[in-house]
Amino acid sequence: MLELREVKVAYGGVEVVHGVDLGLAQGEVVGMIGPNGAGKSSVLRAVCGLARPSSGEVLFEGRVLNGMAPERIARLGLALVPEGRHVFKTLTVAENLRMGMRRNDKSTAVLERTLERFPVLRARAGEHADRLSGGEQQQLAIARALLGQPRLLILDEPSLGLAPKTIDLIYELLEGLREEGTTMLLVEQNAARTIDFCDRCLVLGAGRVRVQGRREELEGDSNLLRTYLGGQP
Amino acid sequence: MSGGRLRSRSSLSLSLLAPLILVALTMAVGANGTPSLRGTVTMILCNLIIVLGLQVFIGNSGVYSFGQLGFASAGAYVAALLTLPAAFAALQTPALPHWIASAQLTPLLSTLVAAAACGLLAAVVGLPLMRTSTLAIPISTFAFLIVVYNVLANWDAISGGSSGLVSIPRTTSIGAAGLWAGAAVVVALAYKWSTHGYRLQATREDEVAARSLGIGVTGERLIAFALSGMLCGIGGALAAHQSGVLNPTTFYFGATVTTVTMMVLGGARSVLGAVLGAIAVASVNELLRGFEGGGHIFGVLSIGRTPGLTAIGVGLILLATMIAMPDGLSGGREAGELGWVRRLRTMRPSPGSAANGAVAMKKIERSGEGALRAEGISVAFGGLRVLRGVDLTLQPGEALGLIGPNGAGKTTLVNVLSGFLAPDAGTVSLDGADVSGRSPARLARAGLSRTFQAALPFPHLNGLESVAVGAMGVGVGRREAVTVAARVLDRLGMHEQAAVPAGSLPPASQRLLGVARALATGPRYLLLDEPAAGLSEVEGGELIAILRAVLDDFGCGILLIEHEMSVVMSLCPRVQVIDDGVTLRVGSPAEIQADPAVVEAYLGSSYLAAASA
Amino acid sequence: MTELVQNLIDALALGSLYALIALGVTVIYSVMDMMNFAHGEFIMLSAYALYVLAGLPFAAAVGGALVTGVLIAIVAERVAFRPVRKADMSAQLVTSLAVATILQNVVMAAVDARPKSVATPTFISESTQLGAISVPNLEFLTLALTAVVLVGLGWLLYRTRAGLAMRAAAENFEMARLLGVRADRVIALSFAVSGALAATVGVLLVMQTGQVSPTMGLTPVLVGFVAVTIGGFGKMFGAVLGGLVLGAISSLLGAYLPEGLLPFRDAFVFSLPVAILIFRPHGLLGAATGEARV
Repeated sequence: MLELREVKVAYGGVEVVHGVDLGLAQGEVVGMIGPNGAGKSSVLRAVCGLARPSSGEVLFEGRVLNGMAPERIARLGLALVPEGRHVFKTLTVAENLRMGMRRNDKSTAVLERTLERFPVLRARAGEHADRLSGGEQQQLAIARALLGQPRLLILDEPSLGLAPKTIDLIYELLEGLREEGTTMLLVEQNAARTIDFCDRCLVLGAGRVRVQGRREELEGDSNLLRTYLGGQP
Repeated sequence: MSGGRLRSRSSLSLSLLAPLILVALTMAVGANGTPSLRGTVTMILCNLIIVLGLQVFIGNSGVYSFGQLGFASAGAYVAALLTLPAAFAALQTPALPHWIASAQLTPLLSTLVAAAACGLLAAVVGLPLMRTSTLAIPISTFAFLIVVYNVLANWDAISGGSSGLVSIPRTTSIGAAGLWAGAAVVVALAYKWSTHGYRLQATREDEVAARSLGIGVTGERLIAFALSGMLCGIGGALAAHQSGVLNPTTFYFGATVTTVTMMVLGGARSVLGAVLGAIAVASVNELLRGFEGGGHIFGVLSIGRTPGLTAIGVGLILLATMIAMPDGLSGGREAGELGWVRRLRTMRPSPGSAANGAVAMKKIERSGEGALRAEGISVAFGGLRVLRGVDLTLQPGEALGLIGPNGAGKTTLVNVLSGFLAPDAGTVSLDGADVSGRSPARLARAGLSRTFQAALPFPHLNGLESVAVGAMGVGVGRREAVTVAARVLDRLGMHEQAAVPAGSLPPASQRLLGVARALATGPRYLLLDEPAAGLSEVEGGELIAILRAVLDDFGCGILLIEHEMSVVMSLCPRVQVIDDGVTLRVGSPAEIQADPAVVEAYLGSSYLAAASA
Repeated sequence: MTELVQNLIDALALGSLYALIALGVTVIYSVMDMMNFAHGEFIMLSAYALYVLAGLPFAAAVGGALVTGVLIAIVAERVAFRPVRKADMSAQLVTSLAVATILQNVVMAAVDARPKSVATPTFISESTQLGAISVPNLEFLTLALTAVVLVGLGWLLYRTRAGLAMRAAAENFEMARLLGVRADRVIALSFAVSGALAATVGVLLVMQTGQVSPTMGLTPVLVGFVAVTIGGFGKMFGAVLGGLVLGAISSLLGAYLPEGLLPFRDAFVFSLPVAILIFRPHGLLGAATGEARV
């Protein structure tokens, strides 16, 4: 479904991603982990159209995404839940959700289903989004992305800044989505959960894929430790 | 480059001579022409002085003022009233105090008085205006322009009202205009290359970084504003004495657009640009003015009477320049800095400069006892607690690494230490003195400097200038600053980069330049925010070597935030790990890597379990 | 007492007019971070539509003015502002200055540099008695129109999907795009709204002065800028507040300034905001977006 071929990303002359390959099939849940500065967010920005790959190709269901405007990519069915959530603080919860829905989508079925999954949002629908806690904002951001009925859901550090219990809640939600067959690409700095949760993971370090594999293959891998902490464990 | 010089003699001469030669050529063209041409050229030269006034403020500060023509107006009226023969004064401006009306100053004296008056006026007006935000300055100066117009148009008794003044002695010869224009060129360049000029340019390039180097933004802008007002006043005074008539609309909206276009077309950042733009736009103006009565273009197109054609032309030039060539004809460079000129000569610091630099460096480096200490720092954004009671100690001469997962609070901590953020609780002390809440500029002068994550050192200044600004920021004079900069660059092995605009350097060099610039402030404590981000492994290794040299040479304490573990672990004997707003562990790299809590924070407990199984 | 009430109503009417101008400027600023110097020319050109369409019934001419305002704004965006969309604030400001100059002088060349008179319905120049107070009908109209505009704008922003997209884009343009909002459309819409607001002001100005001139947009755009500055950048409510404050100051000065100082009213009006800015550099309500970089 999603394919990255030797994608390189540069910001103002500085190349931060030095050729990443990635393949994601429908229904798969793939994780991308690695220390900060490894280039994970840059890869996501290239996929979503916020940055143009300096070389390589990003393909979504066979279509080349390089250089496409982010709003077009979103309409093709890619939804990004960005790092830091970026809920619209000056809008209410309901309005945030409305922003996620497709323009001509008048049916309430999708909205109902989503609100069932995120009951706290229904309860606080009329409040401004900045009054929500971090965890609630994360739920709002995910719900908002889901309302567009995306074919691929991309999450950038969903557990950032959240308490462990809240992270548990978020991952329960994500598990529910996986069971429904939602294709997901998950980027995290916290390796543990991600390795546990995803079908398979790529480990990025200094702009390159260092290690990849399934959970059994990755746990206890000394390469992994070295990527994060340097030196010998 | 010998010690104390920012540019070679040849580059300096070229930059100075090129605009002066252009002025002289313009004079020559006018002097040998018909009286009408001579008059036109004289006016061009007067406008040039005004454009130079604009360049001094707008070009160096990067902030637009739309009120400078208000000073031109003021200068014109002041000078005119002082030279108007008493009889005419009685007729046109009956309420004028007798001592002004009867005064009949020489052209030179009246121009000088106008200059002084406008400089003073600009200082007074600028005092409140420069304190407003960067977006408010264009608006409030535009308001000033309209206020001046309103006052002049309605104060009939003093200014002659909306009909203005006539019979002003036409004393501005083409020679006088040329001389004043030449003097204005020299003044504009001298300012641009002075300590104050550099400090102001730093605020244009990167206001936040400039503040962190100790530069007072409002003060520098005010100085340029006053100087600019003075130059505009001179230009206005001379223009009024060329045309002999003056009214409030002479220097108003239309003239503002024309002079701004001249500056923009030439390239706002350079004096050469101001001269080029003034001549170019004036020429187009004259051409179009000929067509305003209607005529044939290239003998093919014919147009009818089109008043305002000149202004449309000017507007189109401005629009086209903004869209297609925003840096203008000169690219913002002086003659000595143009690309092809630079390639003809390379510049190297002379052998003596490094030794001189060592002497200068000692003067900045502060002696002091103690350490940089942060105690109990807590910060919350909204409901989110980012830092919860963090302590940190940094001794001069030691390297402390600060690591932790993303979102752990490292950058927030550095922002607190460097004065960009006030903590909700906790104190920061520098060598025993409590500095909590002090501004970044004050901290820089007290011996604490930092670099920024996304740092681009001032793109339009060359390497040597960029670093020298660091020293100028903490109050060092220009010559000394240059010697300091030369020494720093020398020690960091950056000879090649000294003469090249920083914006065209490869990223690794730009990063190093940011470090060099912070070092030029002579800090006891240097906070480096992810200097190795995005660098290749080779470049990271070079960075480590240089930072080690910095430690030995400059004796400052370094706090290094990094994610590139190889950099941290090989440079810092002591590492502090922060996670979720608290300090997990402080210890040597080996201890950190072996600490289960740290491994868990990064990789999680199941990894830990599997790894130790 | 009646004089005071009269003056207050005058102040309110003028303040409403200024609020409309400030809103027109803010709509674009909140979405694009750009102060549009050419807004004055949008006003001027809409007013000239009344002059050009003088033969038609007044209501039709007003409709023409509205269309003109919207069209000229959209065209200006497409031709002049889109190429510099990624440039910094100063560059965009200067670009708008260029557009303003071009528009102003094209009108001067095409029509005349001198003011032209425009016939307006007679009831506009009459007044209505409310008890002891005599209120010019124009002021009623201004207040009524402002109320209609505010309601309409509120409806657009808070009850339509397009308006919601505008508000979202004003807060976080990038995030809005990630949700499928078309950047070009949102920007064009904000310019269209700004143009409509400009047209309203243009029509009111013509009714007030009975004439049009190529330079009639200069003072209004300054008024708009100053109002936005003292109200606080980027906030619609701030724009309204700034406009009301500025209008009140101007009107009350007009009523109470001593005879000799009256011609200098504008000078006072535009100097006073500086005082506000000294104590509150980000305006009465503060800036909409934080400025801290790190």
